[in-house]
Amino acid sequence: MKAPRTTIRRKLVKAMMLTSTTVLLLMGALFVGHDVVSFRRLLVQALVTRANILAANSTAALAFQNRDDASQVLDALKTDPRMIAAALYDEKGTLFATYPPAAEPGTVPPESGPTGYRFEKSDLVVSQPVAEDGRRVGAIYLKSDLHELDDRVRVDAMVVLFAVLGSIGVAFALSTWLQRRIAQPVLALAKVVRSVSDHKDYSIRSKAVGDDEVGVLAEAFDEMLSEIQMRDKEIRLLNTDLERRVIARTAEFEAANKELEAFSYSVSHDLRAPLRHIDGFVELLTKHAGSSLDEKGQRHLATISSAARKMGTLIDDLLAFSRMGRTEMRKIAVNLAALAEEVVQDLQVDAKDRRVEWKLGQLPTVQGDPAMLRLVLENLFSNAIKYSGPREAARIEIDAQPQNGEIVVSVRDNGVGFDPTYAHKLFGVFQRLHGPAEFEGTGIGLANVRRIVSRHGGRTWAEGAIGQGATFYFSLPR
Amino acid sequence: MLVLARRVLVLALLVVLHPSTAFSAGAKSTHEYDLKATFLFHFAEFVEWPAETLPDKAPFTIGIIGNDPFGKSLDEIVANEVVDGHKLLVRRFQSVSQIDSCQILFIAPSEASRLDQLLSHLNRRSVLTVGDTRDFALRSGIIGFVISEKRLRLAVNLAAANAAKLTISSKLLRQSEIVGPAPVRE
Repeated sequence: MKAPRTTIRRKLVKAMMLTSTTVLLLMGALFVGHDVVSFRRLLVQALVTRANILAANSTAALAFQNRDDASQVLDALKTDPRMIAAALYDEKGTLFATYPPAAEPGTVPPESGPTGYRFEKSDLVVSQPVAEDGRRVGAIYLKSDLHELDDRVRVDAMVVLFAVLGSIGVAFALSTWLQRRIAQPVLALAKVVRSVSDHKDYSIRSKAVGDDEVGVLAEAFDEMLSEIQMRDKEIRLLNTDLERRVIARTAEFEAANKELEAFSYSVSHDLRAPLRHIDGFVELLTKHAGSSLDEKGQRHLATISSAARKMGTLIDDLLAFSRMGRTEMRKIAVNLAALAEEVVQDLQVDAKDRRVEWKLGQLPTVQGDPAMLRLVLENLFSNAIKYSGPREAARIEIDAQPQNGEIVVSVRDNGVGFDPTYAHKLFGVFQRLHGPAEFEGTGIGLANVRRIVSRHGGRTWAEGAIGQGATFYFSLPR
Repeated sequence: MLVLARRVLVLALLVVLHPSTAFSAGAKSTHEYDLKATFLFHFAEFVEWPAETLPDKAPFTIGIIGNDPFGKSLDEIVANEVVDGHKLLVRRFQSVSQIDSCQILFIAPSEASRLDQLLSHLNRRSVLTVGDTRDFALRSGIIGFVISEKRLRLAVNLAAANAAKLTISSKLLRQSEIVGPAPVRE
């Protein structure tokens, strides 16, 4: 089980932090926005109130056209550094008095504007009518700077910044604490799952208790583990039982096989003695009464003798085959190329009258019993010579190829071949596809080959068609 | 004669140069009286009359006694104006005996010789006496027009105002010079 890339703890903290930070920032923005709006309203209110007070104080000055008094009234503004400019207009809307008294032209509008307030770049401007007893006697204009608003925004921003930072700290601490409560059971469960999957130990229980879904999950997991543990135990029991039974059966089979082999060996062995008697006495009879027998009698004797010898060979081969299954195998490095060369040399001596073209490919060194492997090669090569008898020149190709972790040795001839329908019978004891009249032999050779190769952990098979030659294969593990 | 003509010319020039508020003593231009008419009208706003002398819906009368120096200006200013629910009315009187209901009375310069007699006749009546003759307020008139530094200013006799049971707004008083004896509160 691979380790997770990120932890649920980190995800939880991240989610909580993201949520709280977003909310905080939104709240902060709302707070600043609301504060700015309400502060602006407050500023407007304050300035309108001030304009109204000044207007009330300047009605008589306007009514009686007393510029000095009007200037005095406006001059009260000097106590407030925020006031940039102010002006009084008479009934006709023409400029009557200004603040500061020597205001430069353009500081205040030359004529009274419409009633109301407005924000200009960094200033707040208010225009109010001046009325006495509901009768308009003029207008007042006030212009205040908005440094206060800027300061307010700055202070608000700082407050929000510190509040957000502090809150983020608190949120982090809280979410760290909270995530522990949420993540702990999950982590414990993950640990248990991991341990179960790593060690295949189904006896572990999460024992994680919780009143939430994690608790349910843990409970379900524990139940599942119990089920698995039970089944695992059952399977193990079944397996051991099966193994025991297989071992017992194998032992039984082995015993029976040994018995059978011992029986066939002793039978073969015991058959040899009477056979030798028959052969010996036929020979004695030939010597003793050969001349007195007519041609027919002599031919009968010869047939008996030949049959007895043939039976002897058969028994020898059977004994050899039986021995092959029982003799100890010693595995050493065997140079197949050298071995094949030797076998070819030996066979060449026996088949002096035959023309055989040998073609030896690259043969490797393998692990095996040299005597047994020699027998395999002898059998396959002599078969190849034998079954290419009808050909003027036998061509035998030996090659080896590594294949799927095995070494596959092939022996190809240009002989009579065989019917592929019976290919599976080729390697059986006494199984012959050709009659003894055609090709001599006992039918033990290929059975021996299969037995040896399978004792080496390999396989044997053949390909061919009638009249097309045959290829015999055996594989050895590398 | 020549000297007088030159003086008049200089004064006229001054008036031309300062057309809005600049006056010189003795130049009784129509403009000056336009302003005085306006002031007369504004007095209605800055002075309170006892309620019993000015019943609801009764007209608010601005009277002129003597030769009317305002021409049409006062009538024009007052036309269709309402103060505290009272319609404004301009009336011209030739003698004190004609004055029945009147809130503001302008005593024209033509009445200068009869001033003391006029004022004593109006004594204890809630009539705001206004005049532009010399030392009008000092001579127990309530508000006098004074030309000072080429501007129209007001002189107020608070004792006279108190005697007439008139309350003059502090706003108006701010614009004025207080003259005469200390006011006696009743």
